[in-house]
Amino acid sequence: MRQHLLKIILFIIMFGIIVTLIPNNDAFANDQEDQQLDIVFYSSYNYQTLSQDKLNNINLDFYLPVYYENNKITYHIDSSYLALNDTIETISLRTNDGYENMDVYHVEIVKSPSIWKQKADFEITLNVTVDNLDIEQQYLGQVISSIPDDFLGGTIYTIIKYSQMFLDGSLKTLGLALTGTIAGFFLALILASMRLLNTTNQDNKYSALLKKGLNKIAGLYITVFRGTPMIVQASFFWYGFGLFGNPFYCGLFVVSINTAAYIAEIIRGGIQSIDKGQTEAAYALGMNHIQTMIYVIIPQAIKNAFPAIGNEFIVNIKDTAVLSVIGIFELFNQGRKITGMHYRQLEVYFIVAIIYLFLTYSVSTILKKVEIRMDLLPLEITSSN
Amino acid sequence: MSLIEIKNLYKSFGQEQVLKGINLAIDKGEIVSIIGSSGSGKSTLLRCINQLERQDSGSILYQGTDHSQTKNQIQLLRQKIPMVFQAFHLFENKNVLNNLILAPMKVLKLDKEYAVQKAMETLKKVNMDAFAHKYPKQLSGGQKQRIAIARALMMDPDAILFDEPTSALDPEMIGEVLTVIKDLAKTNITMIIVTHEMNFAKEISDRIIFMHQGVVYEENTPIAFFNHPKKERTREFLNLVK
Repeated sequence: MRQHLLKIILFIIMFGIIVTLIPNNDAFANDQEDQQLDIVFYSSYNYQTLSQDKLNNINLDFYLPVYYENNKITYHIDSSYLALNDTIETISLRTNDGYENMDVYHVEIVKSPSIWKQKADFEITLNVTVDNLDIEQQYLGQVISSIPDDFLGGTIYTIIKYSQMFLDGSLKTLGLALTGTIAGFFLALILASMRLLNTTNQDNKYSALLKKGLNKIAGLYITVFRGTPMIVQASFFWYGFGLFGNPFYCGLFVVSINTAAYIAEIIRGGIQSIDKGQTEAAYALGMNHIQTMIYVIIPQAIKNAFPAIGNEFIVNIKDTAVLSVIGIFELFNQGRKITGMHYRQLEVYFIVAIIYLFLTYSVSTILKKVEIRMDLLPLEITSSN
Repeated sequence: MSLIEIKNLYKSFGQEQVLKGINLAIDKGEIVSIIGSSGSGKSTLLRCINQLERQDSGSILYQGTDHSQTKNQIQLLRQKIPMVFQAFHLFENKNVLNNLILAPMKVLKLDKEYAVQKAMETLKKVNMDAFAHKYPKQLSGGQKQRIAIARALMMDPDAILFDEPTSALDPEMIGEVLTVIKDLAKTNITMIIVTHEMNFAKEISDRIIFMHQGVVYEENTPIAFFNHPKKERTREFLNLVK
């Protein structure tokens, strides 16, 4: 029990990190505006790897134009004008004569963005003297850290930076699996009822033919959708027909019809496992077939089949990964997209695996609780029969 | 006119012929016990009356008309002549109260409030009103059978079929079920009882029917039947069960 508790706590912590540390996108939006200054500069260290040992000492080169409105610019740098943001303690500029039409200044930032805080904003105010005219220019900048080289650093960096994508993917995966299982369940009820139609000698020619036909159709459906891979079904309906015009809805459809085939057989087994006496007792009171099924047999069958149906849900959480083939960005496909950013497959797929495990483990824990709740009726008091 | 009339009833399972031409008439208010050894066709006859088994030929007349042909006829027959089973067959997913009100609500279209009120009254009759919210799992065999009888009574039946109502019970529980049936007998309801309880049959019945190899072998009033059986096979049977 304690082991389970530890696992759950670990998962909660991991998930908490993902959820709470969503990067602040607003800052980035503001920068775009601020960069529309007359004089644009950029840092050569943007998007470059920051390894642990460089973290406290980042050098930034600013490329500043030499001419401004056909006049040569003389930069006068006064460090007292440098207004510093919280994480940047000092900035210094220096010239570099290596370029023909621009001077390169060097800025050094001590204590810069860390893997925990991916972006650091800073602000530089420069006093520029052009033809004895003093122009005060203000620059806003941002330093973006890059992925650390080691596994742990890389993993934490990836979780924080791409938490939104992981979250989106997880929600899509859960949505597909849950909706698909529920829709599949209702479709399966119909299929199972069709499959269990038996002709009796009270049927006339037409109703007997209809029952046989429906039975055969349900049988064919189950054979086809249980007998072909979901990846093929998804490709068939999406690339073949462009069903619903949206891969997500098409995927939802595919999961539902696929799950229905499996659950139909589970429910059929559930119904057949109910004592024949239950049906007879209902019949013997004058109830018809449909009333008997709805009020007596199916509730009992579903209760018996519940663990197996829950299992289908868990299987669906994992199996919806194949829907990446039709371009749904569920968890696995989001992961694939993220690996393209830094080519760090190990860290990304490790996180993806952990999230899948978290999802399946928590769902199975919840299902177990529900099962116990459903079975809560006390056992027989007396053992008379 | 008899309440139930069985005419020339034949039934076989595969090669084995179970009922070989049964003719029987049961009057309103009559209590008939069917006895006989295993395999004589007693239960099959009862199940044919309720149409849980479809006869090969012959007909079941209810109040003078054949009610064993269309689905609607059969459903009416069943609601007028419900059956109580050896193994109770209470609906496992419903509590006692819901077991009682399900069929009246769905078949007789009673509204719930009235059905519940009626169920509580019926439960009092079988002395089970304290168990209205228990589930079948929580009841003893005798209690279950009393609920099953109450469930049949809820249909306002003309007759009730009892298929060995005490055979699955422990000896100490047989009494409570038989008491309920005896109380019912005083209410002038028609009953057809398949039983192995000879003393009970003798005490309660207006008529005893002895079945042997798929035919009504001998029938008589209880006193005449038990004291002066006419036929050889009947005498043998009665000696064995004594």
